Amino acid sequence: MNQLVAIALASILSWLNFVTIDIWMGLPEAPGVRGAKVIGESIKKRGGDLGGGYFSGNIVCSPDASAGTLLASCSYFAFGSPVGGLIAALFVYFGNRICADPGYAGTTGALTTTLLIWATSYIGLSPQNFIVGMIIAILTIQGLYHPSASKLIGKMARKMNRKVIED
Amino acid sequence: MIINYILVIISAIILGLIFKLPLLPDKPIRRSWKISVIYPTVIIALGLYAIWEYFFFHDIYAALIIAISAVVFTKFILEKLVPPPVRGDSS
Repeated sequence: MNQLVAIALASILSWLNFVTIDIWMGLPEAPGVRGAKVIGESIKKRGGDLGGGYFSGNIVCSPDASAGTLLASCSYFAFGSPVGGLIAALFVYFGNRICADPGYAGTTGALTTTLLIWATSYIGLSPQNFIVGMIIAILTIQGLYHPSASKLIGKMARKMNRKVIED
Repeated sequence: MIINYILVIISAIILGLIFKLPLLPDKPIRRSWKISVIYPTVIIALGLYAIWEYFFFHDIYAALIIAISAVVFTKFILEKLVPPPVRGDSS
């Protein structure tokens, strides 16, 4: 497969994987730590969505499905087989616990990415494509324009019934 | 070999239940800190066996020993090593 097509396909799969798992696991509902709250409120002040802001804050402050996806791809590449993905899930779990997070999003993300890489290897995608793809995917949420990205996440979160829990 | 991974999962579940760990965390699961059989015992057992298999060899006895170690580790050591946050540490 052409490398550019492969990277584009891997980016789309990685984006869908990490965004749906992180929303499903309730990242837009509440900040896990104080840092995530500060980031969420700052994004809201700049015209963004509070839920989307908490989502961004949470993925900065602990290894959630975004980090799980990236680390599973790296580990799959380094170990050369799905074994790498299982090892990544183990380390992502401990990383989460250290960051005051129960770790459901991170480990689920690592395991689903391992499955995705294994399944798409039959159509010519490689773990390297997923490493680049995930970096592009996270760039669209964290690196381009926070207000728009957070509004999109907020809209998706409301559709998936993961609204901000007022405290 | 995939059969060893299946064995790790099954033995971790059976041993976890024998050690009186709950099968699943409390609901809503996504906010629960409760240690259970499916999460994280099975994840830890699979990860440890993956490391063993990569660096050493496929072995059915190793799979069993690792499943036992994962259950013992989860039940007695995990929460001392990486405890849940104390109220006030998180927002």
